[in-house]
Amino acid sequence: MHIHQYEKLWLGMSLVLIVGFIATITYGAVGVGVTMVDDSGGNVDPNALDEHPEFSDPGVQKVGENEYEAYVVARQFIFQPDPIVVPANSTVTFYVTSADVIHGFAVVGTNANTMVIPGEVAEVTVEVNEPGEYGIVCHEYCGSGHHTMEGLLRVVPEGEYNSSDGGEQ
Amino acid sequence: MSRGVPAVDEEDGETEGPEQSVSAPVTQDEPERELTHEEFDPKGTLALILMYFTILVVMWVFMYFIEFLGNDLVVVG
Repeated sequence: MHIHQYEKLWLGMSLVLIVGFIATITYGAVGVGVTMVDDSGGNVDPNALDEHPEFSDPGVQKVGENEYEAYVVARQFIFQPDPIVVPANSTVTFYVTSADVIHGFAVVGTNANTMVIPGEVAEVTVEVNEPGEYGIVCHEYCGSGHHTMEGLLRVVPEGEYNSSDGGEQ
Repeated sequence: MSRGVPAVDEEDGETEGPEQSVSAPVTQDEPERELTHEEFDPKGTLALILMYFTILVVMWVFMYFIEFLGNDLVVVG
């Protein structure tokens, strides 16, 4: 079958495009390390968060050099702690769970975004670079006050971070 | 009888003569010039496709490398 050279050209280009898409996604996953949120956070008793070693006093703790863990409880209609304060240029793992109904946890304008299910711990590890402030919203309808349910993630310069107060300011 | 495109209500019998282009002069029986497959080059279509391709590539690079990977809070676990 004879195929016109132009047609060969744009067939080839569309193949290059598909291969390029797959290659960039592969680079993101392998090179940069972008991953999906999975169920590795484990389970927790939503009725006994007060007795949980971490969720009873939600906050940010330092667990290694430039590595922090943020325990966050979502409940009608707040996020605890508020604000969540982390230092810049660090790796932060959010452990988010709900004390009542299904909530959402979305750091607005970023890819840090997960459902918050009572009994389940959503584990999201993110790289934080520049200081700044991000809004946190609940994006799963959780009741009459859903539209007011918001939090704040404050990324402060490393020198200003005070780890002794558990990330709360 | 006219060899142009007949009006619908006149089309009650068999069409006489070979099928003819509407845009060709009524007196023309033969194609003015035969083009081989390779000689027909739709340059405008090529230009359009190249333009779309460029837009796609630029948008993809912008969306993935600048907006997705470049913005803060990259999810790594």
